[in-house]
Amino acid sequence: MTTMTHPRSAAAPAVAGAAEAIRLTGLTKRYGTVTAVDGLDLTVRCGEVVALLGPNGAGKSTTIEALLGLARPDAGAVNVYGLPPRQAVAAGRIGALLQSGGLLPDLTVRETVALAASLYPRHRDVTEVLARARVAEFAKRRIGALSGGQRQRVRFAMALVADPDLIVLDEPTTGLDVEARRAFWVAMREETGRGRTVLFATHYLDEADAYADRVVFMRAGRVVADGTATQVKAMVSGRIIRATLPDADPAALATLPGVDRVEVRTGTVLLTCRDSDAALRGLLLATPARDVEVTARGLEDAFITLTGGETER
Amino acid sequence: MITYVRIELLRLIRNRRVTIFSMLLPAMLLLVIGGANEHQQFGGVSAAAYVMMSMAVYGAMTAAIGSGGSIAVERGLGWNRQLRLTPLCPGRYVLTKFLLSLVMALPPVAVTFAVGALALDIRLPASVWAASLVAAWLSAIPFATLGIVVGYLAKPDSVQQVSGLLFMALAIFGGLWIPVEVMPHVVRFIAEYTPAYWAGRVARAPLTDGSVSLHAVVVLAAWTAVLALVARRRFRADTARA
Repeated sequence: MTTMTHPRSAAAPAVAGAAEAIRLTGLTKRYGTVTAVDGLDLTVRCGEVVALLGPNGAGKSTTIEALLGLARPDAGAVNVYGLPPRQAVAAGRIGALLQSGGLLPDLTVRETVALAASLYPRHRDVTEVLARARVAEFAKRRIGALSGGQRQRVRFAMALVADPDLIVLDEPTTGLDVEARRAFWVAMREETGRGRTVLFATHYLDEADAYADRVVFMRAGRVVADGTATQVKAMVSGRIIRATLPDADPAALATLPGVDRVEVRTGTVLLTCRDSDAALRGLLLATPARDVEVTARGLEDAFITLTGGETER
Repeated sequence: MITYVRIELLRLIRNRRVTIFSMLLPAMLLLVIGGANEHQQFGGVSAAAYVMMSMAVYGAMTAAIGSGGSIAVERGLGWNRQLRLTPLCPGRYVLTKFLLSLVMALPPVAVTFAVGALALDIRLPASVWAASLVAAWLSAIPFATLGIVVGYLAKPDSVQQVSGLLFMALAIFGGLWIPVEVMPHVVRFIAEYTPAYWAGRVARAPLTDGSVSLHAVVVLAAWTAVLALVARRRFRADTARA
């Protein structure tokens, strides 16, 4: 069976025959009257690095909790490598790093990681994991004496110790300073270089852009966009064509294919495009435009447009 | 699981303040109360030996309840949640805590006996020493269960107070500090329903008539069963939430 169908693979890069790591179907979770996750469908294939992006309250953490078996869905199904979450966790296939807490201050780093290792039937060498997560130099110190960034790397070591196929990180760098964030992602990247599947929630747009193959935007418990960072940006806000064009006719420019919005400043036109390629062809054929620049709008813009309500139009 | 128990034991040694405290208080009370009645007889046995058995149970009880209370602190830290990201099944965690509580219950019994033998010059046949040690220790089983209930009911910042109140109530109404025989009738009436009173009876049995009454075993077993059910309910609710 090498052919597979992916119901929601429109935006994601197609990998023929790649097996699924995660499949969420109609996932719904309510807390009282609040629907945290609202019929979420999401499939992640093996080897993908996926960023789950969205503002606070978008349902990212709840989705991750359901994925890890920490929250029981009110409706829908969660499958990780074809298994229910608890079984996938018990089999050591998921390594997870939660936002905060979860460490005993009176244990040393090494003891903590060794303890985590001992709970799995099969695990990596503790010394190697300590080095990998860059905690080896303070392995003998107690957790209580560590900085936030150091603790986060200890949690990361715990997530790695079972040699999991899937790593799930819930806002791993929240509250860390720039240097600690960088160090964290360097360690992370070395680990994920070798074909692990990664799902991480973040509200740092630059992290999603820099580290994910695929960005899933969530808002109010639903997926509002799904694709590569580049695709998502184009999908949401397209690109902007800037050109020098004296005496431009805004009405005529607006009829060009792929153009959504026209702005004319003295001698310069700005075209916001959903299809900048088509718009560019039309523009260059129909007008004497020169000094043409095409820029993607930042992920930040896409984020605001998608998640901040209907601010545009 | 073995590594987990080993690391937990290591933590106990590291946090020895708690451990030492659970051993010191009964030993001190023994010196004061037992010392004051050193050459008295009470109910046909040496009063000092009687007090020693009660204090041994008191020490085992506080250690066992206090140990289970650490669950509340660990819940507050999010450690239980972290463990749920591993294959360790939550039931095993509780079992580990239960076994640790029993381990914790032994040193206070031993220290109390040592103080009794060395400082108060209590002399008993070896068989009585051994039987009392086992009896005082094992009568901590309902309290180890109670500790787990406290661990799942109490908040991390209130667990100390809740446990403290429990120790005091159980010690008074169980007649562990002052024998219920010399207490007001109401206290004696209540005592009959507390596990502490029956635990004391069990621990003193080798000293008095040498046989453990069925009544005592039934009451202690019933307490253990009821507390285990409560613990299970609380544990399930907590696990579902985590």
